[in-house]
Amino acid sequence: MSTRNGLRLRRSRLLLVAMVATLAAACGGNAPDSPTTRLEVGDGLPVGSSEITSAPAERGADTCNATASLRPGTQPRPGNMPTGSTMAKILASGKLRVGVDQNLFLFGFRDPATNQLDGFDIDIAKEIAKDLFGNPGALELHPIDTANRVTALRDNEVDLVVQTFSATCERRREIEFSTTYFVTDQRILTTKGNGINSAADLAGRRVCGVFRTTTLEAIFNLEKRPKVIGMTNWLDCLTALQQGQVDAVSTDMPILVGLKRQDPNLVIVGEALAPDNYAVGVPKQATDMVRFVNGVLERIRNDGTWLTLYNDRLRADLEATAGPPAPRYSD
Amino acid sequence: MRTAPGAIGTLVVGLVILCLVSGLVCANQFSDKRTRRDTVLEYTEPLANAAQRLYVALSAADAAASSAFLSGGIESTEVRTRYRQALADAAVALAEATTGAADQQTREIVAKISAELPTYTGLVESARANNRQGWPVGAAYLKQASALMQSSLLKNAEELEKTRLARLHEAQRAISGVPVLSVVLLILVLLACALGSRELARRTNRRVNLGVLTAAGAAALTLLWIAGTTIAATSAIDTGSKGATARFETLARARIFAQQARTEETLLLVTRGDVTESESRYNEKIDSVRKDLLAVVRPDSSPALAFANWQDGHRSQINSYKGNDYRAAVDQSIGGGNATSAARFAGLDDSLREELDKAREEVRDGVDAAGDALFLSPQTTLILLFAAAAAVALGVWPRLKEFL
Repeated sequence: MSTRNGLRLRRSRLLLVAMVATLAAACGGNAPDSPTTRLEVGDGLPVGSSEITSAPAERGADTCNATASLRPGTQPRPGNMPTGSTMAKILASGKLRVGVDQNLFLFGFRDPATNQLDGFDIDIAKEIAKDLFGNPGALELHPIDTANRVTALRDNEVDLVVQTFSATCERRREIEFSTTYFVTDQRILTTKGNGINSAADLAGRRVCGVFRTTTLEAIFNLEKRPKVIGMTNWLDCLTALQQGQVDAVSTDMPILVGLKRQDPNLVIVGEALAPDNYAVGVPKQATDMVRFVNGVLERIRNDGTWLTLYNDRLRADLEATAGPPAPRYSD
Repeated sequence: MRTAPGAIGTLVVGLVILCLVSGLVCANQFSDKRTRRDTVLEYTEPLANAAQRLYVALSAADAAASSAFLSGGIESTEVRTRYRQALADAAVALAEATTGAADQQTREIVAKISAELPTYTGLVESARANNRQGWPVGAAYLKQASALMQSSLLKNAEELEKTRLARLHEAQRAISGVPVLSVVLLILVLLACALGSRELARRTNRRVNLGVLTAAGAAALTLLWIAGTTIAATSAIDTGSKGATARFETLARARIFAQQARTEETLLLVTRGDVTESESRYNEKIDSVRKDLLAVVRPDSSPALAFANWQDGHRSQINSYKGNDYRAAVDQSIGGGNATSAARFAGLDDSLREELDKAREEVRDGVDAAGDALFLSPQTTLILLFAAAAAVALGVWPRLKEFL
């Protein structure tokens, strides 16, 4: 009964629609008084990203011994720094201000579950605080944009930078570096089945990088250059890769591994493009601090701390390590 | 030289036509004002209000999304509900802001907001899905969502509000303003009556013509009527700086500045950025809130007290942050209980909303009263001027007959 009524209703409604349609057709030529608005969708790239058209001079000419640092002296006891030294000033301030990344999985990232900053770089910072204060928690972590690592040290915003920071001659003009605590090389991360298997396949594709990083230079040195899109951090590159806004990301292996962990559809391909040596960034004038940090690194290399940290943080994703890189000293 | 009857005839016809036209114009202008009153009450004012609510709802959604992010781990049902409610409020406000938006500009802004809102929620959900799996990329998605909200959605909502308030002002001025064309025509009628009287006196040996005199009287009376109703309507609407509309606007602006300051306060914790820069941006917004707020409410009123209360919460949050106690700063900002900045800010926003509702009622009452002040105006002016036309015809006809 109700179905039949419904049917009748539907039929009469159809009739009405047909009548209106006929009428509308009869009154043809009644153009709408305003044109239909058309919205431009845009590229949807993260805020702060833009195309990079020339390589940044972050690596610079290999005119210096980039990885050679100052030899540590006798290491002072925690909480008892030489009067007048940079370390004594930091000790008096009550906390070590360290520039770190908060968008770099495995090295310096915000753990979504605990809201705390965590990672291999932050472990290194804790070891330095431990030797300075006797307390690994006496840290004030300052997340800084990758592009601002040098300026943060130069402008005294932080005491140290531990942020996958490659020692280069160009950067050494403005700041100092500790000895190398991690050695790696540059690769390519892309989506599976994307047709990119080596650096040569990048020609004409869109590659994501972070402003003022050394790894951009290898991309610009390729014979057939891809279009390079710069972003403020590596996680933005991952979102762009996931949303099809770029075809690949190229930077150091552990960074790529950190991105790949978060998405099973990604794959790391190609040959090693360029080596990189991570060191702790120190303000130019603080040579006593450089020696002190090198002393800390010396300790963690020798007492097995480095190996423990590597195995805890990175072993699951990177190959087994032969041990910490040997230090090189300039004096 | 034209003959006397010819001249008088022309005069009569001209004067009658002038009176009739004036009557129609007056009636038309007054009924237009009455229609505008209805439009303001039905569309213009509700649209302005919807635009204001849209901004607040969008900003509240972003604040809830950031809270969920800051609280870490699995977000609480309460925060999730707040986020969904803010989105629902935004949808309602957006639907209302779209109704009756006939102009291209408004339609374009609304279309942009409608297009970007799903993108925004998509990014928030991506953030959420990644957060739940423990992937840090969730933070990147959330920051992108927030950037989209702050740099585009809220900018457009602000633009929409400005446009809608401008429309409201325009309509209010049109209702309370002087009907210029009517006044000009009425002065013409009076001038024509004076000229006509002189001509009649010259050609008929009678000093005054009762018909023309009556017509002049009716025109003068109409002018008085227009003056009276215009004054009444203007005082009812009060578009001045102390009026209800200005009050509404100031409160709406204060509410938006407060939302922006709250965003700044939360964003500092999300980005863990430089506290000095963030504080200077925050203080800039806060100074605007204070200035606007104290311009319209007393220092001991509930919005002013809620504002001071929120400031206290902010200071304790910043002190924790500066003291390197990030966790305490987060707890102070978004934790549970009445003393958190989130609760204090909600108190301020609630009291601002109440004040806005009051101001809004005053605006509507004013427009309504102005419309009432124009009650019967179309009819009265029409009758007066048609009577003037009739008086001219009847008064001059006997004089004209003397020549025939």
